[in-house]
Amino acid sequence: MPDIDLELRRITKRYGSFLAVDNLSLDIARGTFTCLLGPSGCGKTTTLRCIAGLEQIDSGDILIGGRSIADAPPWQRDIAMMFQDFALFPHMTVARQVGFGLEMLKQPRAEVARRVAAMLKTFEIDHLAGRKPATLSGGQRQRAALARALITEPRILLLDEPIGSLDFSLREMVMFELKAVQRRLGISFVWVTHDQTEAFSLGDLVVVMNRARIEQVGSPADILERPRSAFVAGFIQGNNVFRGTVTAAQDGMVRIATGVGEFLVPVLNGSTPPTGGAVSFSVRAERITDQPGAEHANRLSVRCGAVEFFGAVRRYFMHQADSQILKVDQFGAQAARLREGDQATIGWRAADGVLHHGDGGSP
Amino acid sequence: MRWTTRAALMKWTLGSVAVGFLIYQWLPMVTLGVLSFSGPDGGTTFPMNGVSLYWYAELWEPSLSADFKAPLLRSFLLALACSATTAVMAVAAAQAVRGEFRGNGVFFYLILLGIMAPGLLVGFGVAIVARLLGIALSWSTTTFLVHVTWTLPFGFLTMLAVFNRFDRRLEEAALTLGATRVIAFRRITLPIILPGVIGAALFGFSLSYDEFARSLFTTGADLTLPLTVLGQFDRQLTPSLYAVGTLTTLFSLTVILLFGGVMWLTRGRARRPA
Amino acid sequence: MSTISRRSPASYLLAAPAALWMTGAVVVPTLLIAWVSLWGGRAFSPDSPLTIANYARFFGNQTYLKLILDTVQQSLLLMAISGVLGYAIAYFLVVMVKRPMVRLAIFFALVIPFWTSAIIRSIAWIPFLGVNGVINRTLMFLGLTSAPIDAFLYSRTGITMAQVSLYTLLMTGPVVYTLSNIPVQLREAATCLKAPPLAVFRRITLPLTLPGIVIGQVLIFLNVMSDFATVAAIGGNKLALLGNLVLNFYEAGNIRYASVVAVLLMVCMLAGVAIALKVVDVRRLGE
Repeated sequence: MPDIDLELRRITKRYGSFLAVDNLSLDIARGTFTCLLGPSGCGKTTTLRCIAGLEQIDSGDILIGGRSIADAPPWQRDIAMMFQDFALFPHMTVARQVGFGLEMLKQPRAEVARRVAAMLKTFEIDHLAGRKPATLSGGQRQRAALARALITEPRILLLDEPIGSLDFSLREMVMFELKAVQRRLGISFVWVTHDQTEAFSLGDLVVVMNRARIEQVGSPADILERPRSAFVAGFIQGNNVFRGTVTAAQDGMVRIATGVGEFLVPVLNGSTPPTGGAVSFSVRAERITDQPGAEHANRLSVRCGAVEFFGAVRRYFMHQADSQILKVDQFGAQAARLREGDQATIGWRAADGVLHHGDGGSP
Repeated sequence: MRWTTRAALMKWTLGSVAVGFLIYQWLPMVTLGVLSFSGPDGGTTFPMNGVSLYWYAELWEPSLSADFKAPLLRSFLLALACSATTAVMAVAAAQAVRGEFRGNGVFFYLILLGIMAPGLLVGFGVAIVARLLGIALSWSTTTFLVHVTWTLPFGFLTMLAVFNRFDRRLEEAALTLGATRVIAFRRITLPIILPGVIGAALFGFSLSYDEFARSLFTTGADLTLPLTVLGQFDRQLTPSLYAVGTLTTLFSLTVILLFGGVMWLTRGRARRPA
Repeated sequence: MSTISRRSPASYLLAAPAALWMTGAVVVPTLLIAWVSLWGGRAFSPDSPLTIANYARFFGNQTYLKLILDTVQQSLLLMAISGVLGYAIAYFLVVMVKRPMVRLAIFFALVIPFWTSAIIRSIAWIPFLGVNGVINRTLMFLGLTSAPIDAFLYSRTGITMAQVSLYTLLMTGPVVYTLSNIPVQLREAATCLKAPPLAVFRRITLPLTLPGIVIGQVLIFLNVMSDFATVAAIGGNKLALLGNLVLNFYEAGNIRYASVVAVLLMVCMLAGVAIALKVVDVRRLGE
């Protein structure tokens, strides 16, 4: 399989009795921008550190370019890593820093100098060659760290929340710079983040993790439109998650009884859940309308709570009698301009519900 | 060999060095303690020839060895005086540095000189000064003067560390409520840094109590405890010296544990605005 | 805003007692030693004529010159042994011990003896070092030697052994401090940049702990140079270093010679500190 950069085969990592990575498998095709997304403590950083060799896996195997490296030390793996605070060496100039990896590979001095100069030019930091990290701005540090990591031309670049320590205003620019670098070099990036905006705007492949396991792997569109589990739906912004029991199944649809009413939800891939079984489904906030028409089969009467504005979108927080909160997004022109305390009827098309099939019995 | 095995081996090697050194460091002290319980016929090394409290009794009824009771009292009083002086001057000096007066950098190094300058030389120098000025050497005057130069820097550093963690907003709150600086210091600052002050005082006590290089030239006829120990050691080494050593070591350990406990208590206290 | 305002008269007032005390009891006395060392004549009098004869006579004596050399040599020996040992312990403590409670326990076990009497700790070595001491008995019991070795008590070996136990902590302390200020990620970053452990140590850890190393070495140097108690306790009257010489001259009433030796001691120490500061430019430590 020459086109697979990284394969994780059922890797497990324990700290004492705590299971940090649980039987995790993942294939990453050559040149993929992968984002490991999940809440803190979900095992995403540990997974990254296992790939780097900074942690030893307890069982399973890791293959880079088809070769098992589970027993190889970090300095012999074909990877590079970028740390959250960049981990620049405070006592070395930028040029020294960037050339470090090549020096370690015992490259001749002239060769190191030539490639460092080229690298600094690429990242437009050649004027900083003689400076030490303490005198650099956040953006400059990030570029120096990237140049340092990429100079050994690794097959995979591992990034641990690489823009987390940057000013908010810098983040977007840096994000797209990194994406452009990845596209140009064609190497695989494995990017760990807890920020879904980052994951969805950068990743070719998004891996949602929870409690040491993978919840869902897919393209950003997959994960946004077809969350596999209640966890993924709840973790991704803008989803309304419903839990209930199946009361009937007909024509590729199931009827689900929830605490706030009965709703029709389509069965996606043919495997109809049994009647009486516990299920969950979700509906995106922008698919719910406050002026339901005939096509909006699922309806619900609610009281309007707080209203928030996201640019052109206004988001209502709707309350039901038992105080379940629903998010409803409306675009400016079509919005009914509800105010806090107003009663309203909302609804959505049956086809807009997404039945979860990956809960695996867990709540 | 796998690289993880090599790493583990390295860890075990360095661990053995560390533990080995700990044993090396503690073993003589423990041995001293054990030998102090030798029988009446016991010598200064093994065998112990029985187990007894003979050498401790010897301390109360000195026949073979020097009388340690009066020197003990002197050392205790001296340490007490040093501890009080250190606490007061250290707070004043650290508070002064907070005022960023002109020359506070030089001031900092001037105080640190007390740690850097060897005790032997400082003691010798003060003895010369005393002789030039015609002042009689005494444990309560010249020795006290020199001991404080040794204890003050440690107290000063302790107080700097305490003020470093101190939440300035508490004082600011008091001042905006109309308190004068003196009242704010007495009512707000002092109670908060008090555990640190006690720490500095204990620091001063324990350092002065064990000090001898500075006492050697400055004490005159009435010796402090460490000097009496040295003198007795010069004349004749008996297990009763081990008994003194054991007692005074236990005493020092008590003081330092007290110090540790107090500093532990200050950890949260200075930071947490109540 | 705080309870003391910037450059207020109060801040000068509060600083005055400590400043006067340290000046009067440390700075002036040590300067006076230098003055007394230049006194001619015999009487203890500030009116003595100034001369360098005391120094000339001191340097004319081979025994004394050798003593200076011995003292410096002993300091260098301790700097080497305690330096390596202290660094290894600090490295183990900070880098390799992962559990905070274990680390704290080891640290306390290291530091606590510092707070007990150095005299007692020196004396505590006596039962070990003598001909019938613990070391000889152990060696004989293990069959490593058939007759007791008379090389520990009253010898440089014995002094060195005791000094190592007294002064290694002076190295460990500063190195622990600088080492724990190095983020773990720096070592990890180097590891991911193809650096094997030895290279990580040489290129990252060692340079970044250099300030701690220098401070530790200076502390050991200063303490061994002026150590007389360990030398007296374990060396008996057979061995002396510069510190003992000051004491001996003073007790013999020869205050001029005592001053000369004290000045030489100070010069050696200042030279040592100056060299150390050359190695590590203090102003650049912050970078």
